[in-house]
Amino acid sequence: MDESRPIFVQIAEQIENDIIDGTTAEESQVPSTNEFAAFYRINPATAGKGVNLLVDEGILYKKRGIGMFVAAGSRARLIAQRTDRFQTEFVRPLLAEAAKLGISSQQLADMITKEPSE
Amino acid sequence: MSIVIEARGLTKNFGKFTAVDNVSFTIEQNRIYGLLGRNGAGKTTIMQLLTGQDFASSGDIAVFGQSPVENANVLANVSFIKESQKYPDNFKAKHVFAAAPSFFANWSQELADQLIVEFRVPMGRDVKKMSRGQVSAVGVILGLASRAPITFFDEPYLGLDAVSRQLFYDRLLEDYAEHPRTIILSTHLIDEVSDLLEHVILIDEGRILIDSNAEDLRGSASTVVGKSRDVAAFVEGRDVIHRDGIGGLSSVTINGQLSQAERVAAVEAGLELVPVSLQQLIVRLSSLETSEGTVK
Amino acid sequence: MTTTVATPTLTPPSEFSRILHVMRLHLVNRQVYIGIPWLILGGVFVLSLIIALLINYATGDPTGSKLGMQYSWAVISPLWYLAAVAVLAISQSFPFALGFGVTRRDFYLGTSLLFVTSSVVNAIALATLALIEESTDGWGIGAKMFTSLFFDGTWIANFFVYSVVQLGIFFIGACIATVYMRWRVMGMLVFWFGFALVLVGTIALITLTDNWGPVGGWLVAQGTVGIFAWLLLLVALAAFFGYFILRRATPKN
Repeated sequence: MDESRPIFVQIAEQIENDIIDGTTAEESQVPSTNEFAAFYRINPATAGKGVNLLVDEGILYKKRGIGMFVAAGSRARLIAQRTDRFQTEFVRPLLAEAAKLGISSQQLADMITKEPSE
Repeated sequence: MSIVIEARGLTKNFGKFTAVDNVSFTIEQNRIYGLLGRNGAGKTTIMQLLTGQDFASSGDIAVFGQSPVENANVLANVSFIKESQKYPDNFKAKHVFAAAPSFFANWSQELADQLIVEFRVPMGRDVKKMSRGQVSAVGVILGLASRAPITFFDEPYLGLDAVSRQLFYDRLLEDYAEHPRTIILSTHLIDEVSDLLEHVILIDEGRILIDSNAEDLRGSASTVVGKSRDVAAFVEGRDVIHRDGIGGLSSVTINGQLSQAERVAAVEAGLELVPVSLQQLIVRLSSLETSEGTVK
Repeated sequence: MTTTVATPTLTPPSEFSRILHVMRLHLVNRQVYIGIPWLILGGVFVLSLIIALLINYATGDPTGSKLGMQYSWAVISPLWYLAAVAVLAISQSFPFALGFGVTRRDFYLGTSLLFVTSSVVNAIALATLALIEESTDGWGIGAKMFTSLFFDGTWIANFFVYSVVQLGIFFIGACIATVYMRWRVMGMLVFWFGFALVLVGTIALITLTDNWGPVGGWLVAQGTVGIFAWLLLLVALAAFFGYFILRRATPKN
């Protein structure tokens, strides 16, 4: 648990990560609020807040009497969201650091191509 | 939102010493509260006032809307085992647990039995001969198994080793999730419990410094580290709560959440942003001793 | 969001149940009020029998010890222990009970009920033992323990006397302990100093007015039962004051 950000945000992100990388499939059930709370050793209300955040965004939905499920199409939606944020969260700091070290755009492009891709 | 406890202008004097100074707060039902503060800040005194064990010098206390003093209607719903709770000389652990169910209507013998095994409480030993940790374990088990609608834990883990402490936190969360109740936990081991808390009340020298939702506090401060000049420029006009420096480097803690844009700006300015844990935040705010009173 | 005041989830048991629970709290460890006092008494009794046999042997008279044991103080040996128990009931059990959410009122009433019950039960046993001792002429060997002090002849008188003795030990001991619980060392100093003053003052008054004769005569006129009736009044006062002192006492550490 990162200390600089609210836990409920981190819980939501963790669930999102699991959806994006396929660990949690669409239409499958996610653990209950109490299970999250016990696993991360956090207050159930906090875990609930994280889950509700995703419910509000339509990523998760509730099946009465059973639990929380991943909504159809949420993976695609999350990937689109994250791609938008990729620019500000990853690219810009990358360029700032590169500039600090005096690495040119060409050098940067070479570095990127040199990296073994998955 | 249901309020179970309300304190208004609560004050307690011991002769010339003011242990609790005009304190006001509300406790909402079925949440986990952390009553934080240094040793001698007034945490135990406040708990004693809320449970009618001691009498307020002035101010009002309403528990379920009534005064808790000599009030069985209120006290039947409350469990408060002090950190310094003494047990009669001739009592063994088994006597303490045999006595408890009569006084706590929600007592769970099943939970008590499980915890007695897990915490390794020696049932046949005189309480006065038990180690500090074992006595704490007894107190913790009484508080957990009582399932009292309002449960106070006063520095419950003094003497408990790290394994037992983690066990306590785990069992507390587990039982709270299954059987919600209002829990008020006083401690100075803030980082260990910070994830469990929903709401934080910080007491310093008898006054409330912070009365806030834990999630709001988390991430509400950042430490900016870098070359002194750059740091000074960045923190210009912000609420500074702590300064540190060595040579040409500065480390300044500022109050207030930073937006994503501000974070990027900091990185671009060659500054490092270090997260501030709840414990660090509280230590820094306490030493500031804001005379403004309550930070919400 | 509307704010409401929560209502209590649990209702307390009836007043009488709560008082009984306090009494049971004191008795969780059976030894304290039941086991040890009778163990002490039993031990002293056996000792008394042995002494009687020795005296009989030495004097060659199979029931001779009767005379020698007339003033044996053996029967009150458990009382010193019970005085300590009464003090501990306040100094230790009171803070403990408060930790369990017991009100001071319920605690005092429950403890008082315990004191009375214990005293009555023990007095019944002691009076009965005295009767047996009398009718067997000293347990067949002239040993006297239960009929040594205060013995007035009738079972009921004995019962009354033994009750008052134990009630006195309990309530007066507890009352003094409440003074400490409420006012700590300062309270103790004031109490004992005041007590000494009253005692010495009374003695001085009687002496200086040359009234020992009439006082002595009055005491004799009361008879054993009469004196203990006056003591019962004192006990009642101790019980009464103890309650009001404890009502504002706190379990300071």
